[in-house]
Amino acid sequence: METKQAPEKFVVAIGPQHPALKEPGHFEFTIDGEVVTNATARLGFVHRGMEKGTEDRNYVQDLYLMERVCGICSHVHALAFALGTEKLAGVVAPPRAQAIRELVGELERIHSHLLWLGVAAHEGGFDTLFMYTWRDRETVMELLEMLSGNRVNYSVNVIGGVKIDVSKDQIEALKYGMDFLEERTKHYMKVVTEDETFLGRTRNIGLMTKEQAELLGAVGPTARASGVERDVRVDAPYAGYDMFPTKVICEPAGDLEARFVVRINELFESYRLVRKIVDHLPAGDLTVKVPRRIPEGETISRVEAPRGELFYYLRSNGTDKPDRVKVRTPSLCNWASVLTLAVGHKLADMPMILAGIDPCFSCNDRMVSIKRGNDSQIWSWEDLRKYGIEYYK
Amino acid sequence: MASKKKQLNPEEILQKARLVLKTWTKSENLPETNRIDLHIDAADIKPCVQALVNEKWGYLSAITALDRAEFETVEGTGEKKLVKGKGNLEVLYHFCSGPVVATLRVALDYKNGKIDTICDIIPSATLYEREASELLGIDFKGTPSSEHLLLPDDWPDGVYPLRKSFTGLDKKQKTKER
Repeated sequence: METKQAPEKFVVAIGPQHPALKEPGHFEFTIDGEVVTNATARLGFVHRGMEKGTEDRNYVQDLYLMERVCGICSHVHALAFALGTEKLAGVVAPPRAQAIRELVGELERIHSHLLWLGVAAHEGGFDTLFMYTWRDRETVMELLEMLSGNRVNYSVNVIGGVKIDVSKDQIEALKYGMDFLEERTKHYMKVVTEDETFLGRTRNIGLMTKEQAELLGAVGPTARASGVERDVRVDAPYAGYDMFPTKVICEPAGDLEARFVVRINELFESYRLVRKIVDHLPAGDLTVKVPRRIPEGETISRVEAPRGELFYYLRSNGTDKPDRVKVRTPSLCNWASVLTLAVGHKLADMPMILAGIDPCFSCNDRMVSIKRGNDSQIWSWEDLRKYGIEYYK
Repeated sequence: MASKKKQLNPEEILQKARLVLKTWTKSENLPETNRIDLHIDAADIKPCVQALVNEKWGYLSAITALDRAEFETVEGTGEKKLVKGKGNLEVLYHFCSGPVVATLRVALDYKNGKIDTICDIIPSATLYEREASELLGIDFKGTPSSEHLLLPDDWPDGVYPLRKSFTGLDKKQKTKER
């Protein structure tokens, strides 16, 4: 009798610890030799039940909670929540506040794209580029700290406006920083489009056509690198984007290289926007008064996070606590594209394809408290940096 | 490469969605100038989504599931108490096109919270459907994967954390299989 043998499948499990990214996620790649034939994902390792959490807190508390959904694009989460709540309350934040919201949003985009550039370079085995971009990223991190007092979770928004103002000295510092970064970014553009070894890892890898991008529901730079003209900042301007409009940055190629080029071109656009905003910052108040109890209703708030469209659905029930807050982050949309694109590629390309959509990573602390007996000491960032430099001398 | 995009009037885009879905719409609502809510029957979800996809009207941005539980005020304390057995579930399919958001709204019973999957039309909906089914207990008929996406592997069956009646796992449930 003939025995039938099922074709053997070899499954490579990656994650949940450090699946090539500094974030927990679990992937199973079915491979045939070196080639991936199927891919599945399991998320939720850092599911914190925040949507349920919002129902038990008031709107002000929720603003702080939502800012902590993501450590990289914290501002857009708070912004989407604040804009939605303002819509429900029937108030509009003053123009100066809206401009500052856009300013911080663009600075956040710069820091996020530079961070991604470094991480993606690292996944491609190009650690020099990783070191350089992260060094330069410090420029924008320091500008954000100068404006808000924080490197991450800037906490710029309040419901009804912003809590920070921009002084003349800060405007000068911002312009100086943008000039420096623009020069550096020109160099990075040259590297990612001309360096032969790096192009070997990006050109024609992870190809996604425009039709696929539309069908798979990709958003943000991932979709725009496949020629899909979709950007909430342009399609449905929010905050200050009607005063200071931006352009849709698109690339038709749809490979990893295009995803680099789109994000780098968005950096240039962000530098331009930052300069324009600080030069034409409208005068006036920073906040409007918002009632504590939000009238019954529901609304949708969409903003363009560094990774794509961020979608908030808010439902209020007339009390000081929301009835339902639904968050749909851009990475969720882009996972589907990765899992489909993986098929047919070599296993060795997986880290780059995963990193190509720029999934969220966690961020770092900035203060260290050292306790020695009774002697407690808090180190500032400056102290810590000096210590680091001395240590490795 | 930056390109200029031709802007359609939001009203025109909105009208088109209304026209495409006219056959199945039971009632509609225009809560904001850029939003349209269309109430449809659960059985009509597939033809509605198919019609939007065929007309290339926008893209599926998110699926929101809601627990529209009813509350009553306890006399004296002013506390709000859940009324058991009343209220219903609701599934919202948000489609976005430019500045316009069209929401297909489907009301479902607690007992029979079933609706057809739309994954055969829009494959990327699987993650949204998995989220709604495990957090609110909505049964998407024919969905390609109903495995846990967000909740732990040992989460008890039939417990849906985003339902209003959920206030935490009791001791018995917590010790299950641990």
